[in-house]
Amino acid sequence: MSRMEINELERKWLFVSLAMIGMFVGAIVVTAIGKGIHPPSHVETIDSASLHLSQEFAEDKLGVQPEPLADGSLQVRLVAGRYGFYPREIEVPAGRRIVFRMASMDVLHGAHIPMTNMSTMIVPGYVSEVVSVFPKPGEYPMLCNEYCGLGHDHMWSKVTVVAQENWREPATGGKQP
Amino acid sequence: MNDATVNRLTLFNFWVAFGAFGLACFFGMYQVLERSGLFAFLQSPAVYFASVSTHGVLMAFVLTTFFIMGFGYYTAAQSLRRPLWNPPLAWAGYGVCLFGVALAAVPLLLGKASVLYTFYPPIQANVFFYLGATLLVVGSWFWCVIMLVMFAQWKRDHPGETVPLPMFATAANALLWLWTSAGVALESVFQLLPWALGLTDTIDVGLARTLFAWTLHPIVYFWLIPAYIALYCYVPQAAGGKLFSDLLARAAFVLILVLGLPIGFHHLYMDPEQGAGWKFLHMVGTFAVAIPTLLTAFTVIASLEMAGRRRGGAGLFGWIGALPWKHPMVLAAILSLLMLVLGGFGGIVNASYAMNAMVHNTAWVPGHFHLIFAGTVVTMYLAVAYKLWPELCGRRLYSDDLALVQLWGWFIGMVIMTTPWHILGLLGQPRRISAVQYNSVLTLSWEPYELAMIAGGFILVGSACLFVYLLYKTQTAGGKVDAREDMEDAPPTGRRHG
Amino acid sequence: MKAILLVTTGMMLAAGVDAAPSTQVAWTPATLDFVKKGDADRGKTLSAPCASCHDGTGTNPNLNGQLPTYLYRQLQDYKSGTRQDPATIMNAMASTLRDQDMADLAVWYGQQVPMLGAGGATDVTGIAERGEGRRMEPACSACHGTGGQGEKVDTPRLAGQNAAYLEATLLAYKSGQRANDIYSRMRLIAGKLSDVEIRQLADYYSRLK
Repeated sequence: MSRMEINELERKWLFVSLAMIGMFVGAIVVTAIGKGIHPPSHVETIDSASLHLSQEFAEDKLGVQPEPLADGSLQVRLVAGRYGFYPREIEVPAGRRIVFRMASMDVLHGAHIPMTNMSTMIVPGYVSEVVSVFPKPGEYPMLCNEYCGLGHDHMWSKVTVVAQENWREPATGGKQP
Repeated sequence: MNDATVNRLTLFNFWVAFGAFGLACFFGMYQVLERSGLFAFLQSPAVYFASVSTHGVLMAFVLTTFFIMGFGYYTAAQSLRRPLWNPPLAWAGYGVCLFGVALAAVPLLLGKASVLYTFYPPIQANVFFYLGATLLVVGSWFWCVIMLVMFAQWKRDHPGETVPLPMFATAANALLWLWTSAGVALESVFQLLPWALGLTDTIDVGLARTLFAWTLHPIVYFWLIPAYIALYCYVPQAAGGKLFSDLLARAAFVLILVLGLPIGFHHLYMDPEQGAGWKFLHMVGTFAVAIPTLLTAFTVIASLEMAGRRRGGAGLFGWIGALPWKHPMVLAAILSLLMLVLGGFGGIVNASYAMNAMVHNTAWVPGHFHLIFAGTVVTMYLAVAYKLWPELCGRRLYSDDLALVQLWGWFIGMVIMTTPWHILGLLGQPRRISAVQYNSVLTLSWEPYELAMIAGGFILVGSACLFVYLLYKTQTAGGKVDAREDMEDAPPTGRRHG
Repeated sequence: MKAILLVTTGMMLAAGVDAAPSTQVAWTPATLDFVKKGDADRGKTLSAPCASCHDGTGTNPNLNGQLPTYLYRQLQDYKSGTRQDPATIMNAMASTLRDQDMADLAVWYGQQVPMLGAGGATDVTGIAERGEGRRMEPACSACHGTGGQGEKVDTPRLAGQNAAYLEATLLAYKSGQRANDIYSRMRLIAGKLSDVEIRQLADYYSRLK
């Protein structure tokens, strides 16, 4: 066999490889374009140093927002800071579309609710927006999954998902438990 | 047989690489013990994160860079059959790298640089850490220049001839590294250093992460290419066959070089500072770069099959049993490919754009990269060391049997350690935690897996110690080899292969 | 105090006015630079009236070696009223200071040799060094530094501080009397500590060298 020749088997394998990769990418293209499933890519900047003086992330504006969004989703505003998500306990209804808006007041953080697709990085200087629906009521931890300093292990908050009929809309945002 | 200068240079680089490797395994061992929470006296986030940072820097930067430089010098001189160009420059690069490592080691070990090996601004490390890391990169650029000059000189002296495959791949790697390392170099020089020196008060984290992502995937191919060189150039011969196709091997290296570059944003899938469009493009690139790996796996397995059949193996799987499993290079290749298949599967999940949200930054991720890097890549590094040590020292390997035990140990330990990691990741355990402090029912289910990781860690540390011991004994107490015997095992070159 | 809080909250709800943030200071690059460039010599002159109280007696804090950023923000908070001195002395003092005066004072005190503890510190609570997962309490050292030396940006130095001041401060956070911690971080932490633990932690940090 000459060096510059491609063996028949190899040629077949090349097509198999291309088809396999094409299938994976194809599935992603369909879900991304057809169903709008994207990773959280909300390119929106904010001054992390003066978060507490901003309109949106002022201390009394955090938490589950009393007014639902136009499409009926609930908005939850959280600030990630060493070492917790503030407010540290929130309550949301099951089965409802929830839009999390999060910003960091200090360093890099990550937010993840295990066993759900609620996950995003929180980078100083940016607002992270991530949408999720929690089908099952229960108490979930929201864990910081990005190294943020020596207290990183302690950085978590409680998210209680309650059945839609038991859920009452909060009077104001930003109540700390 | 290479001249003494090249041998010395290779050996010096290799000892730094494998010394760092052995040391880093002990840090890893401490980490699995600390994390399990079983030993109260070990618990300390400060020590844990200093240890993780040191483990990461030693494995990902020191082991790899020094191994690749040493292997490159050897490969260039061996496959091109010419003396090393400008040895003083090579020694200067070695010195700069080593000085950088020493400079970075001080703050790392003092816990003043617990920023993990990916730097993590705006958490700030001591300035000597950034300076040391930068010097390590700068020193490795000396190596790139030497590789490219030797490649060009050979081309000039051999018009119309094809460069031997090992050198072709090494030159591709030098080019890849020059481009790849520019991202982290820019971050370091224009962001981290001025900030750590107090010249600037703040740092643009989004930009720093984007620059680091520029480096932080192609760097994986910088580490991987030497392993592929061994798979393409050493394994088929060691198994008693020959390389299936030289052309496709070259195509794979070119594809890695070209496609490996625009994919780093897959580390930023979950980040808010990049738009979906860019992430989508990098997703396509990430899948595309799997093609050269699929080609490599096919070609290597096919050449192993040819060897197995030539050795009398028959039937659909009979050739597997007929392979020389007792040859360290062949065994390493089989184990390495097995881990590549397992790790590659996990990698496809990570690469999957939106599905990645389920496992992002969970224990799944270290599970994945320990299989690919510590499994596939490092196993081949170990096999290369077993092959080269006798040549470099002029002595026979101290014990073939112990080398086999060592390689099996590394494989078994890695499987035992990474399987729980994958499961914990699916259960949502974050990576980079030093202890489980969450007061939640969910976290109770994590405990048994931590125990399995300790078992894996012990086996791995034992295997690493055995490896370093074997190298040391080979160099000091191995039987003398004569030069002719040595030549039989030489890697294939373009001329001989044609 | 609780009654006042309730009344003010009620009034604000009624009027639809936003609650005031816990501090007006934001650590923008400009503010950081402004504090860094404070004039220590001027600060020394200005500090003359401070020394009579800040001599480490009673519940008054020792200011030597404290982070300038922390001192600057406290002065600003006293002036704007987001930190209330029960004796109102500090609010009155700070109201006479201009921004430049505060930066100068902060830099002067920051340059002094830090207060030193008597030694023999042991963390009886375990919270200073390890924190406690069950109560969502991070370790004090995670933010205040492993030796209690304080950390960027404005997490104060605790090592060697007057124990009576530390105890009073933690109790004030616990009761909500002190509320100039952004997003209630110290209030949430102190709120879960028992009064005994507060005394033990105050003793621990006052002894650190």
